[in-house]
Amino acid sequence: MNYFLLKQTEFLSKFRLVSFYFAAVFVLLSLFGLFYNGLNLGLDFTGGYLTEFSTQQSLTQNKMEALLTSFLPDTFQLSSAENGTRWSVQQIDNDISMKGKTWLTDFSERSGLTIMPQDAIYIGSQVGEELINQGGLALLTSVIVILFYLSLRFEWRLATGSVIALCHDVIIVLGIFAWFDVSFDLTILASLLAIIGYSLNDSIIVGDKIREIMRRNNESNIDSIINLAIKSTIVRTLITSGTTLATILAIWIFAGESLAGFSIALFSGILVGTFSSIAISATVPQLLGLTADYYLKKEEDVCQLP
Amino acid sequence: MMNSRTTKHARRAKWQNIVITFILLFMLISALPNLYSDKVSIHLANNNAQNEQVSPQDINNLLANHNLTVDEIKSSTDDTTITLKNKTDQHSIESLLIKEFGDNYSIESSIENDAPIWLKSLEGKPIKLGLDLSGGVLFVLDVDTERALSDRLKSIVLEVKSLAIEKRIRLSKVKLQDNYSIVISYASPKQSAYQDFLTKIKKNYPELTQNKLDENQITLAYSAQEQVKFRQETMKQTIKTMRGRIEELGITEAVTQKQGKNRIRIELPGVHNPEEAKRIIGATASLDFYQLAEHSKAVGILQMTDENGRKLRMNSKEVFSGSSIKNARSGQDEMGMPLVNLTLDSVGGKKMSAFSKKNIGKPMVTVFSEFYRNTKDEMVKKSKVINVATIQQHLGSQFSITNMSSLQAAQELALLLRAGSLTAPVTIVQQRSIEATLGADNIDNGIKALTIGISFTLLFMAFWYRTLGVIANVALALNLVSLLGLMSLLPGAVLTLPGIAGLVLTVGMAVDTNVLIFERIKEELKRGRHALSAIENGYKSAFSTILDANITTMITGIILYSVGYGAVKGFAIILCLGILTSMFTGVFVSKALTNLSIRENKSQLLGVKL
Repeated sequence: MNYFLLKQTEFLSKFRLVSFYFAAVFVLLSLFGLFYNGLNLGLDFTGGYLTEFSTQQSLTQNKMEALLTSFLPDTFQLSSAENGTRWSVQQIDNDISMKGKTWLTDFSERSGLTIMPQDAIYIGSQVGEELINQGGLALLTSVIVILFYLSLRFEWRLATGSVIALCHDVIIVLGIFAWFDVSFDLTILASLLAIIGYSLNDSIIVGDKIREIMRRNNESNIDSIINLAIKSTIVRTLITSGTTLATILAIWIFAGESLAGFSIALFSGILVGTFSSIAISATVPQLLGLTADYYLKKEEDVCQLP
Repeated sequence: MMNSRTTKHARRAKWQNIVITFILLFMLISALPNLYSDKVSIHLANNNAQNEQVSPQDINNLLANHNLTVDEIKSSTDDTTITLKNKTDQHSIESLLIKEFGDNYSIESSIENDAPIWLKSLEGKPIKLGLDLSGGVLFVLDVDTERALSDRLKSIVLEVKSLAIEKRIRLSKVKLQDNYSIVISYASPKQSAYQDFLTKIKKNYPELTQNKLDENQITLAYSAQEQVKFRQETMKQTIKTMRGRIEELGITEAVTQKQGKNRIRIELPGVHNPEEAKRIIGATASLDFYQLAEHSKAVGILQMTDENGRKLRMNSKEVFSGSSIKNARSGQDEMGMPLVNLTLDSVGGKKMSAFSKKNIGKPMVTVFSEFYRNTKDEMVKKSKVINVATIQQHLGSQFSITNMSSLQAAQELALLLRAGSLTAPVTIVQQRSIEATLGADNIDNGIKALTIGISFTLLFMAFWYRTLGVIANVALALNLVSLLGLMSLLPGAVLTLPGIAGLVLTVGMAVDTNVLIFERIKEELKRGRHALSAIENGYKSAFSTILDANITTMITGIILYSVGYGAVKGFAIILCLGILTSMFTGVFVSKALTNLSIRENKSQLLGVKL
């Protein structure tokens, strides 16, 4: 029995180390994808051509969307007004033949709708340059502030582990969007931020457990402390991630095309986040040389004071 | 001793329960208006008793012919009320009715929430939905960059004149040649100081190309390239100002885009009354502060009359302009008269300080300017002296403008000054209501999906943790209610698709809070603790973990809120509010519920017999 337990622990350590290197490979792959393929930035970021037209018949938005999807090669954003008779279609500015009013006549013939073109104009991005810069700055600031807070509350190696896990999650999700060429818009950006919150949450809970065991136990091996922490939080991790993933899966399956990108981001992010809380945020402190008696030593230091 | 501690403890618990119940009730009431929807109704009132009343059938047929549907048409002896199904139809139905019946009937519309009267009297409002979920109003603004360019050149002319005086150079003429260039003519040719003078101009205005026409004349011109750059800068500045104004209106989820070369497209969610938004967005108000001209020899004289008809002669170069204003708040003086308190930025503050020190006891004129379109559709600048005040003392970067006509005028001026003044005049060239970009079907599907997901979570929790699971579910439901309540209370919170991402995360966090606590309790039970003390300890020791996890997420949320714009800001609001409510319900509410249910049923907890 004792032997079995020992072996199991060894397995978990091996699993952690192996997956840590796997994670590193995935991060490299994602970074490669990001530099090689680039993100397929959505209309929110790039701007594009806006074509406005009105139809004599009143159509539902879904119907028009279906008609346009079969006609237009690229992704587009559709909005309607005045009871489904006035339409605005926003397209990315890369397909010159489809630009402006020219495609409308074709579309009118093919769909059999009576279409009156209204306006075709170039439209700027929703997110200005200064906002992108600000956003990057915000991300950097929050990482630094979180690192600082966690270093105060925990220990710098545990904090670094959480922050590295967080970067890992964000990079991998971005990598997925780059490799699979899924359109990246403002909604996806917001889900990315949600992932940051989630990833941190996971890492902190494991880190907290490690600290607790280090304080309480007379266990001298950091490896087994980390394994113990992971084992005692695994049920919680699985339940939380599982229920959240179920909710997102339901959105992915039932909510239709318009929420697909959003669900993909959240789903992969939470999956990766759960994985990284075990493989990275718990393993990095060990690799950085966290020792089992860190907290004990600290308390001794305090005791030595007169 | 022991006894008194427990009674003290019990009393505290009782107080806690009362506070918790009170907060939950408050949140529930705030969330209630979301159950009811806003309805637009149009009233047709008979102008003349001789007119025949329109029958509901007639209206219904008319609307059906135009593919418009309504909820109900109610007819009384002299009034017909049409309740609309779809808010966005309001404009088209109204114009249709005016066309058909406008001669004999007066047509008015109103928006009413169909909530019961007691709820309305509490003035609760439902959550505002974003553009993607409920549509809104679209404005297209035209930015007059040409005008901005010529204004810029005009101010350069004044600068050149005063520079010439400073350098003791006599110029016979400085004027605009056309919209892009200035001609400077020297009074006498060949002076050694010219070169120095021109270098100085070059240094101050590097964007201008200097071109010598002959011995006496020189032109300063914007090259085609610089013109484009200037226009782009102006557009950027205007969009930034527009974003500031929209934010000042309390709308967080607006979309502001550049459209074409010199237009701005603004989409505002959930705006029922576009008139106010229109006034603020389209306003071009700016404030400038001038010195009264002491003698007629001064460079450039600006003549204006104040409201009493008094003629004022001012130095045409302003002391400082509205762009130096960092902050503006409306308020009242000791006499209750409305005023606007201004805070200047460092540049403006320095100018003001230097100017006021030199000119104590002399008057300063505050001029309010606004652009509007006249009957010939030309942009006209209308300036008005709102205040001539004597400088009483050495002023710094903070002072106030008195003599405002009303408190509302003071508030509006403060808002406009806060949001930044425009360098170019704008006009609204298009305005119409837009429908939800996601489409009704997609929204329905999304809500269905979210319901399925959350139901699964609830079922799982009840199955896994039994009694405690049910408690967690109640806490989760209360969490959602509280979040809805908080969002309805905050005027700036708008629910959008990214917001729903925040909502999913919040539900996850709330489940997590409970799972953490319950796992703790299980651990304590395994260690052989008594049920009550296991629960007490479980909540206590899980709390620090929960606090750490939530504080870090809160940090992210707050930073996102402070720098983000639009969708990101909306997400950040939900995230932060969600953390607050899930901490509250997950820790305090579920603990109170656990204590209650243990008292009721001591034997069963966590599916384990105790």
